[in-house]
Amino acid sequence: MKAKKQKRQGDFQKVQLKVGKKKPKADNATNVNFRSKAIHLPEQLKHVDSGPTKHRQLDIMDLLSKLHHINSNIKQGALVGLRELLSAQPSMIELHASAVLSEVAALFTDKDGSVRAAAVRLLRFITQCIPAERVVPFFPLLSAHLTCAMTHISEAIQEDALRVLDVLLEHYPGLLSQRHTVLLTNFLELISQKRKAATGQDKSGKGGFALTISTNRSVTAQQWRLTVLLRLGSFLQAVVEERPLDEGVTSSIGLGMWAGEKGSVTSVDVSWEEHVFGKGRIQVFENSGAVPTPHSAYRLRPDSKAGAGMNKELCSAETVQGFAGTLVPLLLEIWVEAAGGDHVQTDSGHLLSAEAMALMFQILTILQLLRRVSPHRDQKDILDAWFRNSYLADFKHHFMKNFPYGLLEVARHKKKADGKRIRQQVAAGTVAGGNVEPLALNVTLCQVMVTLSLRGQDHVEAEDADWLGTIRVFIRETLSNGGKLSSKHLAALLEVVWRMIVTQRSRVVTDDLLQAVYVQYQQRNLAVSVRSLLLCFFSQFYIQEHQNHPHIARSRILARWLASLPVQLVQLGSRNPQLSAQLLETIHPAAARGNKDLLQSLQKNACSIYDPQEGCVVVLPVESQKRLVQILHSLPAFPAELLACLSQVCNTGRVSASLATMLIRTIHLRSPLCGWSSSSQDVPVKDVDYLSFFFTTLTGFSSEMLQALQDTDEDSLLPSSILSPLSVFATTLEQFLHHWDIVEEVCHCLDTLGSRAQCFDVIQNAIIKNLCGLVVVPDCVCAAILRCVPRLLDVNFLPSDTLLHFLSDCCLSMLNLLLQLEQSAHKRDAVWEACFAALSTVPRLLRLVLQSFRVCDLCEEELPVLAQILSLLLQHTQLRNHMMANASLLQHIIQDLTHFYGGETREQWLTDLLYCYSVTLFGHRANMGMRDIY
Amino acid sequence: MSAPVEVVLSADSAGQLFNCAVFDPHSGSEFLSYRGGNTSSRSLTVLNGEYILGAQLGKNFINVWEIQRKDQLQQKIVCPGIVTCLCASPDGLYVLAGIAEAIYLWEMSTGNLLAILSRHYQDVSCIRFTDDSSHFVSGGKDNLALIWNLSSVVQLDSSRTPEPCHILSRHSLPITDIHCGLMGPQARVATASLDQTVKVWEVSSGEMLLSVLFDVGIMSVTFDPCEYFLFCGGSDGNIFQVSLCSTSLSRDKTFQTDSDGNQVFKGHRNLVTCLSVSMDGTLLLSGSNDETVRMWDVQSKQCIWSINHKGHVTNAVIIPAPANMFLADSHPAVPLPRFSRHLNPSEQGDGTGSGGMCLRLGASTQEREGTYLEKADELYSLMCAVTDKSVFGDGENTKVRVSELEEEVKTLKKINKDLYEFSTQLLTKPN
Repeated sequence: MKAKKQKRQGDFQKVQLKVGKKKPKADNATNVNFRSKAIHLPEQLKHVDSGPTKHRQLDIMDLLSKLHHINSNIKQGALVGLRELLSAQPSMIELHASAVLSEVAALFTDKDGSVRAAAVRLLRFITQCIPAERVVPFFPLLSAHLTCAMTHISEAIQEDALRVLDVLLEHYPGLLSQRHTVLLTNFLELISQKRKAATGQDKSGKGGFALTISTNRSVTAQQWRLTVLLRLGSFLQAVVEERPLDEGVTSSIGLGMWAGEKGSVTSVDVSWEEHVFGKGRIQVFENSGAVPTPHSAYRLRPDSKAGAGMNKELCSAETVQGFAGTLVPLLLEIWVEAAGGDHVQTDSGHLLSAEAMALMFQILTILQLLRRVSPHRDQKDILDAWFRNSYLADFKHHFMKNFPYGLLEVARHKKKADGKRIRQQVAAGTVAGGNVEPLALNVTLCQVMVTLSLRGQDHVEAEDADWLGTIRVFIRETLSNGGKLSSKHLAALLEVVWRMIVTQRSRVVTDDLLQAVYVQYQQRNLAVSVRSLLLCFFSQFYIQEHQNHPHIARSRILARWLASLPVQLVQLGSRNPQLSAQLLETIHPAAARGNKDLLQSLQKNACSIYDPQEGCVVVLPVESQKRLVQILHSLPAFPAELLACLSQVCNTGRVSASLATMLIRTIHLRSPLCGWSSSSQDVPVKDVDYLSFFFTTLTGFSSEMLQALQDTDEDSLLPSSILSPLSVFATTLEQFLHHWDIVEEVCHCLDTLGSRAQCFDVIQNAIIKNLCGLVVVPDCVCAAILRCVPRLLDVNFLPSDTLLHFLSDCCLSMLNLLLQLEQSAHKRDAVWEACFAALSTVPRLLRLVLQSFRVCDLCEEELPVLAQILSLLLQHTQLRNHMMANASLLQHIIQDLTHFYGGETREQWLTDLLYCYSVTLFGHRANMGMRDIY
Repeated sequence: MSAPVEVVLSADSAGQLFNCAVFDPHSGSEFLSYRGGNTSSRSLTVLNGEYILGAQLGKNFINVWEIQRKDQLQQKIVCPGIVTCLCASPDGLYVLAGIAEAIYLWEMSTGNLLAILSRHYQDVSCIRFTDDSSHFVSGGKDNLALIWNLSSVVQLDSSRTPEPCHILSRHSLPITDIHCGLMGPQARVATASLDQTVKVWEVSSGEMLLSVLFDVGIMSVTFDPCEYFLFCGGSDGNIFQVSLCSTSLSRDKTFQTDSDGNQVFKGHRNLVTCLSVSMDGTLLLSGSNDETVRMWDVQSKQCIWSINHKGHVTNAVIIPAPANMFLADSHPAVPLPRFSRHLNPSEQGDGTGSGGMCLRLGASTQEREGTYLEKADELYSLMCAVTDKSVFGDGENTKVRVSELEEEVKTLKKINKDLYEFSTQLLTKPN
């Protein structure tokens, strides 16, 4: 031991320095005997270990440790510093979230008000930066501190706790709503205290709580209660909205309440390829997962997802009842106190001061939310029944006695006091609840009361008649007094109307209320949102409730409304496509269901809806156009003028070709000639009209237009000549192709008719009557005729000479046109296809065409054209046989051609023609020869 | 000739040659024909393998033939209105008829009219049962298809009007045809509509699984038994084959022909009104308004044969050959009762009580029956138990059992031998 000590002393021997002697050099001294011209620093030395600092060079750990300091000024300073630091460095929040949150939460219950205020401010800042899913692990701590603050003995801390609650509600409503068991009791304790078990003789003695009044608060008891109720209301709102099932339902304004709750099914998409070799199991659910089979109730740990676990307790009617049983008496008591105070001042009970009104509005909102807390419909019904049994008398007594309420005008003589009060309200955070419109109050009261009326029980109807009658009168007057309502109030009112109609089951009530809504609906200059809300109400009402309730089905107002829809559609025109689409969304199902009123009105307005110039079918967007065409399926009858309109709609090109095709098919299907709808006795499309529709659509031009065309002399007109006996009116490429698609569909439909011979006869007559005399013909008409004739021609049917002559003229003109068309291959193909089909199917046509080549009459310039046409015909293998049948005629033409062509040099076109001719001839001969050999 | 396994049953709207006829699915040769009247579309059905029911076109009665007496019209059932579609349940217990907007349900054992369901707003165009007769699907011209649970429809509790379990309302034009796949309540059902789509739904949940958009309105639809392909008959005469095994997950798709399964059968010239696939999924039968019935080979898309009819083909279906069909001297096991035209015959003052007892499911029985998954589990465990016991059972028991059986065989052989000897003695003994 001693030896060791000596040894160690030897190791650390102190070097004694003496004055005047040189200091001995250390062993590790750096030799600095070098020189450099410049020192290059690639980067600055960084302050690595301690993070960024701010506010007097204090880093985050320092600041956090200062939060424990005993002096409140330092604490407040540290909080301010933290906020500055974090706002400068947002990335640090994530890093230090746990430390910061826990420290800040601890300060919720600090003695000093300014510290608490700073803590709330910091919390507000932090919550803005951290999304809800990241804060989940710290939330139990936060809410524990919150609870602690809410139940604190000091009233100032309680008040500030509400602000913390505000912040959390704003940013993490889902997380907060999971803690409802604790928080709800906290709320109760803020405004009341548990009654001693023995002293239950109070007059309001249902609940186990009694209101408290503390005199040393900074605000009056009523204002305090109002602030608490505001928070309670928004908390319940959060609970309702964060329910996992029907988020979508509550977000759409009001409509969800009409629609009733429907469990939406979320489906899982499984790609089986991934699971072929996988060992993992796939959980299979019955009924596509809507109702999972409960194999085991055991859970490893509580589900931390938003709202997933909380429904265990709040969704059942019993728990809500338990809570409501405590809360509702308190609310009533609060109201009685507030109203009692007012009554002293005024005699008329229906006029309320602004404050009382705000209080009542909050009470009603909370009542409404309580009912909506449980998500299932049957539970809701249980809850409604329970509310009715327990509180109907109270509600009637306290709320309905003076209904409807109005605002008491306070003379503003005490400006100072007013300002003070406002300041107080600001301090208590009641600005939101400070000014409530009387209308909003009344509407909410209606909503609450109406839920108490039970559906479908006759014996209670008489009891309810008095107060339901009052509500009915109020609603009727509000809706029909001509005033404009905001869409929020209107939605609430409509909800009340819906509920009353469904529960009361009486035609008088239905008509009464619907009439009022209809008056509102008929107002001019409504805002679009209001208009579409009303529209939505009616259409949902019709679609959902129509079937189940005969008293609704027989309502005259609903019928009148339906009948007015087509007129509105016409009047609306193209001004508001969304609204038109909404109208169509009702018209279509109603028409499909065969609603008589609607169909009648639709029939009456059909011609203006389907007008080719400014009808809805051409001015609306494509989706609505499609719907309009689909509505044609349910139209009871197609008179001739409607068909004329429709035919023009198809041809004017303002609806797409595919839609026009759909329209044609619809007409085809509705006709008895099609043979699909055989059962119906009445005939929607008469055969005559059907055929004339198809012929008009086929030609694409009305007789007036054709007539007008005869007299014009436009540039686009190609003059007639011998090679083009008809003067061709060249249409634009777009129009031509559109028409081409339509002709295809028309041909297909006519093709499938029963007796082809008769059908062809009709078409032939129509062509002869309407087209044969024309001098100027549009090219698309020529092409259409040439295309449809060979398709419809029956083998055994002989077409008339007039028709054939006209066809040959058409064909020749088209062939002539073909040679001039260079710009569009598409059009060329179409024209050639038509000519080719006609020539190859009707051999007599070819002969007629060849006969019309009178070479002697042609002038010099036309010879090459003729030669080109001929070589075109000769080049096609399928036509060769037909050409050879007319070999002598052909030979004659070619001889004439060579004869009349007086040029010395042999031109290219002539060479080509002669080559084609010889090839054709030779090939034919060879074929013949082969046949002879065998 | 041995009796065929499957036969083709078809009918046309003219009824000149026959009302409906039975053909060989492989050669197209005619076996039998049933005469008298004609049959409207989607209303020919075979009841219990013993009767053929077909609704008269445009009239308010149903023609009935006993399946073996081909030339003789057995009976006419007069209905309250024109029958637009007809369907007998696969178990032969119920018959459904669409009459205007309403669906009528008869019980075959008594002929009682059990229910009139009027949930459609327009004419009902098609009704189909699932293969286990537990559900049925009806489609109408009001663009709706409804899935019904049969047991909830046939309730004694008359205060509640029966409601469909699911309302399929995604079609925007009249529904033309419905086809139910196999597997009872877990089946998928396909609906075809004039709005140019075919949609596939799940019966159990009413969810839409797939929607295919075509260029033309679809008049008929069917699956093959494996549900590899969906066949859709278009209004332009084409038959579209849609592959259901494609890997894309999107629920809405547009039909395009490609090499892997999405193909077109071309041949008909007019609306394809009926489609049916044989049991093995190799043959596709199609009937069209161009008055032909064609049989196609699914693999090669070739038309095997075609039969000309005299009018629009209204019904064409491949069915398993009923046992009685080719036995001329057989009789139906149950006589066809008189169909009642009113609900609750007792209230009509119909004094001739049948004396029978009416058995129907009460409302309470259908609250919570074991789910199908649980049943499947149970069945599986049962099957496993059986195989486990017989194949892998404990060796001791098996050995004992085998030796017992061997013993018995020996005894039987001995008895047989004794008998033989005794009889030879008896025969060879000189009298």
